[in-house]
Amino acid sequence: MGNSKFDCVVIGAGLAGMSAAITVAAKGKKVLLLEQHNLPGGCASSFVRGRFEFDASLHEYCGLGKKGDWGLPGKIMMEEHGLDINWIYIPEMYRCIGTTRSGKHFDITLPTGVENVIKKMEEVVPGSEEPMRIFMSLAKECVEANDYFSDNMSTVKKDGFLKTDSLYFMTHFSNFLKVAERPFNEVMRKIGMPEDAIDILDVYWTYIGADYDKMSFVHQAWMFYMYANYEPTINDNNAHGMTMACIEKFRSLGGEVWLNTKALKVCGDKDGNVTGVLTDVGMVETNYVIANVNPEIAYNKLLDENIKVPEREYKRVNAEKHGIRFFNAYVACNKSIEELGIKDYTIFMPGTFDNRKNIESSKSYEDNTHSVVVIYNVVNPDASPKGTTVMTFTICYTEDVWGDFTQREYVHKKQELFKKVMDNFEKDTGIIIHDCIEEIELASPWTFANYLQTPEGTCYGYMVDNWDTMLSRLMAIRKDQPIKGFKTVGAAGARGDGYNMTYTNGNDIGKIVLEEMEKEGK
Amino acid sequence: MSKVKLKNYGLMDIMYFSNKPKEREKRIQEASAAKTDATFKCNEKAAERHPDEQFFVIEKVTERAEGVKSYTLRKIDGTNPAFFRAGQYVVIRQLIDGKLIARPVSISSGPAETLDGTIELTVKLVPDGFLSKYIYENWKEGDEVVTSGPQGLFYYEGLRDQKNVIAVCGGSGITPVLSMAKAIESGDEDFNLTVLYGSRTTKDMLFADEFAAVMKNTDKVKLVNVFSEEEKEGSEHGFITAELIKKYAGEESYSLFASGPQAMYNFLDKEAQKLGLDERHYRKELFGSIKEPWTLPGYPAEAKDKVFTLKVKMCNQEYEIPCNANENMLVALERAGIAGPNRCRGGVCGWCRSKLLSGNVFIPESTDGRRKADKKYGYIHPCASFALSDVSIEVPNNK
Repeated sequence: MGNSKFDCVVIGAGLAGMSAAITVAAKGKKVLLLEQHNLPGGCASSFVRGRFEFDASLHEYCGLGKKGDWGLPGKIMMEEHGLDINWIYIPEMYRCIGTTRSGKHFDITLPTGVENVIKKMEEVVPGSEEPMRIFMSLAKECVEANDYFSDNMSTVKKDGFLKTDSLYFMTHFSNFLKVAERPFNEVMRKIGMPEDAIDILDVYWTYIGADYDKMSFVHQAWMFYMYANYEPTINDNNAHGMTMACIEKFRSLGGEVWLNTKALKVCGDKDGNVTGVLTDVGMVETNYVIANVNPEIAYNKLLDENIKVPEREYKRVNAEKHGIRFFNAYVACNKSIEELGIKDYTIFMPGTFDNRKNIESSKSYEDNTHSVVVIYNVVNPDASPKGTTVMTFTICYTEDVWGDFTQREYVHKKQELFKKVMDNFEKDTGIIIHDCIEEIELASPWTFANYLQTPEGTCYGYMVDNWDTMLSRLMAIRKDQPIKGFKTVGAAGARGDGYNMTYTNGNDIGKIVLEEMEKEGK
Repeated sequence: MSKVKLKNYGLMDIMYFSNKPKEREKRIQEASAAKTDATFKCNEKAAERHPDEQFFVIEKVTERAEGVKSYTLRKIDGTNPAFFRAGQYVVIRQLIDGKLIARPVSISSGPAETLDGTIELTVKLVPDGFLSKYIYENWKEGDEVVTSGPQGLFYYEGLRDQKNVIAVCGGSGITPVLSMAKAIESGDEDFNLTVLYGSRTTKDMLFADEFAAVMKNTDKVKLVNVFSEEEKEGSEHGFITAELIKKYAGEESYSLFASGPQAMYNFLDKEAQKLGLDERHYRKELFGSIKEPWTLPGYPAEAKDKVFTLKVKMCNQEYEIPCNANENMLVALERAGIAGPNRCRGGVCGWCRSKLLSGNVFIPESTDGRRKADKKYGYIHPCASFALSDVSIEVPNNK
């Protein structure tokens, strides 16, 4: 038996787990990364069918930025961690096709670049230029406030919340203080955004998985500004390429990766101190564990009885609602994008732009066909062999809608749904794909539950809500991690879902663990 | 961009902001403090669908032909076997002399039979087949056996395939296609299936009765026997050529499915080309691992017959084992009793994916199913890789 003693063990090689592992290993600590699957990456993964490789996720990285002007996630990934990734920049935000609440049909493509977006919105919805300028200005302030906040998360007040410099915020980010936590659509109305424009802006809701009538302004503002200002990006070797860049970095820092290895228990001594992780290859000694595991599962199933979970933590996980989960269709066509007439990378096809109706229908199988598709070849000619096209369609659900299907009807339910989605896509865009599909794979929440082992197959952690906002989670980032030597990271964490958010969250928590180690002289 | 002045928002809004964390805390404090052991419907369904392992007892053994037996399996715990898509396989995991040997085996029953609690596997005795020989000689009624969940991509997909399917089968390659026929009979699949089944003579045929029973209940399934060494009324004689396929396909468009040994594919690939079938319309079941790699282009002749040293890092263990250049590297791991997860044995499923730390390997192009980034960062699929020197690899745990 080789050495099984580590300064820190990270359970789960999702993006947050890998980010935390790199953060801790970069400070010279001996770190072990455990992954129950035979492949690292979690959602950031890919699979091969025939002559095609499919990105497992709907890939559109937000907030990377560029060398010399990184966004927060880009700064961590590229500057602090120095990952070897070739990014491809996507020169448009999205195309969206549907009918607004006023009954008007829109088919518009929003370009990137703040000024371009403003102009485009004015062009399609006259009267939106001025409110769009206000929105973008507020959004920029939100990004700056968030950056400042993220750099100053180390001081804790007596009640466990972070201590912030309110005077600094008042003088530098006064608008932010006024609007950040107000519901997005409410802010839009107060700054005079035309209703049609609100509908068009709301189309991003599936990226966060929250109701824009309830969700805080800052969340959408941050994302919208980052996409508009920095352009969405993808890895040239799909999400698995991003994962492999993380793993290579981690290994180069002396990190160990054990794949197909399950963490059975996090063990503690009589005093409640973490002493190790029981894995299916035996006991690994450590005093620090970072789990890229949903806290509900971590608290109820992973920790042994010696490690005391404070009552407030059980209350917290019981108060939360599981976030959205997906139906994905991975489609490869034996025609090129030119032959198919495809020009856009991202196309939202909500049918109706009515936010209320879409939230309602996300609770059902029958009514839910508002989909989004990304078409990789538009920006990456090497995404599939010459003369072919790969695309991913996504539909999101806010409830465990798929849990009721029987084994026998399951495949038919997937096929039936995709037929509807494909039909809408062909009608909306005039792009015909049904007669040239060479490979197709349909993934439902069952699939994600199988690979990720997350509750209800969710990919987005806990639902962001008006009582459970990103900022209030961030204010409680230390309070929500009260167990010495044991922390959780991932989409259920303080920053919510998204590759960028989970990567940043892994980095936040990695640093908190390093602090704990330092305090205890380890 | 100039900073805006917001008229509609005031001091109250800042209060609203600063109260948010407290509001969240209040909501948390109001929730139940119960330790939950919640299960989720979706996760339960997923676990039923994709079990890691299924523990069976052999209920019945049926002799199909010389060297071919079918095994009816029922779950020990009384639950139903995982539902599958007709044409899929399971991986048998069998301890032989203390070493865990895994091989894919086709399912010959229809998916609907899982609802009555059984699946049937059909195994053909292969002359140099390590596991098939063991199963043929040892498996008997009442024995307990272990398989994976259903695997594999050789199935009908209505969103991709034509409504008419011509299935060309050779030998025991008929097995997954029988499952498809049964799925059509039970209504779990809906397409027209014409099977062109190549055998040497009548006595080499498998499942004649089973197909007859299916065809009694549905006119969507048709079986045409093609004998290479026998002439018989109502059957075809010779090889399964482009002309023969065309004869039965008629004028309508169709998908060609193929299931048989490597030699059959070598022949059929050329026929498919004559028929102008592209990848979309021509789908093949895997035939297992590549044999005789030295016959393939690009293989360095000097490596053949050599035995190299394979250093293996698995979690906190290290091993040094012999690796015969003529066999794929997964076989070396299996012989040493340390093989990790593996399923397809044909390079495509990626379950045995391992990191190549040093040394050279030969990877036949036709079974190179690796991801792009895996190629970039030096990962290999041992089941489709052959050692060309002493090699060092890091493998997933073999729990």
